[in-house]
Amino acid sequence: MGELTSYRLSDFILFSQTVYYRQFELYNQFVWPLHFLAIIFALIIIYALWKKPVWGGRLVALLLVVCWLWVAWVFLYQRFYQIHVVANWYALGFALQAGLIIWYGLIRNCFALFVSNQLRIKIGSALLFVAYIVYPFIALMTGRSWMQFEMFALAPDPTVLASLAILLFYKVPVSLYVIPVVWMLLSVSTLIVM
Amino acid sequence: MNNKHNLSRRRFLQFMGLSASGLIVPQFTQAGTGVLITKSIPSSNEQIPVIGLGSSRTFNVGNDPLALDNVAEVMRHFFKAGGRLIDSSPMYGSSQPAIGYGLKKLAKIKDVFSADKVWTGDFHQGAEQMQESRQHWKLDTFDLMQVHNLVAWQAHLEILFRMKQQGKIRYVGITTSHGRRHDELVDIMKKQPLDFVQFSYNILDREAEQILLPLAKQRGIAVIINRPFQRGDLIHELNNKPLPKWANTIGCESWSQFLLKFIASHPAVSCVIPATSQVSHVRENMQACYSPLPDEAMRRRMIDYVEKII
Repeated sequence: MGELTSYRLSDFILFSQTVYYRQFELYNQFVWPLHFLAIIFALIIIYALWKKPVWGGRLVALLLVVCWLWVAWVFLYQRFYQIHVVANWYALGFALQAGLIIWYGLIRNCFALFVSNQLRIKIGSALLFVAYIVYPFIALMTGRSWMQFEMFALAPDPTVLASLAILLFYKVPVSLYVIPVVWMLLSVSTLIVM
Repeated sequence: MNNKHNLSRRRFLQFMGLSASGLIVPQFTQAGTGVLITKSIPSSNEQIPVIGLGSSRTFNVGNDPLALDNVAEVMRHFFKAGGRLIDSSPMYGSSQPAIGYGLKKLAKIKDVFSADKVWTGDFHQGAEQMQESRQHWKLDTFDLMQVHNLVAWQAHLEILFRMKQQGKIRYVGITTSHGRRHDELVDIMKKQPLDFVQFSYNILDREAEQILLPLAKQRGIAVIINRPFQRGDLIHELNNKPLPKWANTIGCESWSQFLLKFIASHPAVSCVIPATSQVSHVRENMQACYSPLPDEAMRRRMIDYVEKII
């Protein structure tokens, strides 16, 4: 324990901020023009949350599964793992979350039950706005190249944030929140110490 | 050679004093910019330049083609200034492939003094990991292979000593950083026939002067010093403070040179490995590889000054 306390979080972040954000620039070039598909995914989810069609819950769950698996494989494992030796574990965590959404969302159809708590809905809507609309502009707002934007369904942070927002609309088990919350804590810590 | 005659009397005398004590051996660069300081590896008497190049964080650039070219450019200036020893580890993400890219691009595979590490708790994976590292560096053999952070060191050292006997590596070492597990490291240094040991040491954190550095000298173990700038924190803190006017008497025009020369001038230190991703920084760092080095009185003065202003 004595040795462990001598480590700082930054000791585990072995890449620079410049290199980290360049990953998004190269990734955006690589996945272009899938950004349009991501926008379609986002719009379908908004429609399903707003109009609440019978098939909406399962479709939202399916789209989230695709997003989490895509980010796990194409961003975290194939790209981020090159510069971060634990990113393979991150990818595994994302795959596990996709599995949980398959179980609760697709098989047990938990996404069919909406909450009535207005506060949850308002918080969910606000988070969804940040994930969909604000997040892609953070690169520009912080003086980085616009090409380094992070977008829902393609990049981890906005995908996780949007997922948390979407979960707030439904009566789903707490276990679905665990991985997204852990990820947000990890991500914020990384951004702070990087 | 003309530059040798341009050395001031004080610098020349300091240089001669260090040469006489066997600490440094003069070499002259092609550009004739001065006297390159090298130190001897005790187990072989091979000479290595006193400033090397670390790769933690700075060379971990993934497949970014622009960043890879930048790494190669940093390495080009490192070699051009007389540098040889580059240090890496499988822990440093894509740093090894980036070094391999640079070595191939610069055609320096035969010139580099390659120092890498084995870093796995499962010693069965050690051989496979070292093979992968060789492929990343595009080398047939490593000069120095070290056990990273004492991880599974008993099993790894046994394999490394065997590899050395078989001619697959030339030197065996072990590393730690941030002053961790020094007691265990001391024990290993006393009992194992190591060629190299690597740990952290700098002008503010001088714990290594108590036991590790004297022990290395006594046991004939070459010493590589990592984290000379406390991962940039030290430079960051000193950059808005004035460099003492007398720093130019030891050939220092910047804080990085000041800090590196302090470390390099310890009699037991063989090589310091600052890491950088910037060409201007590697050029500045490599100037610390040229004479004169501070003597003991000057080292004391350097400590007093830094402790006073921080």
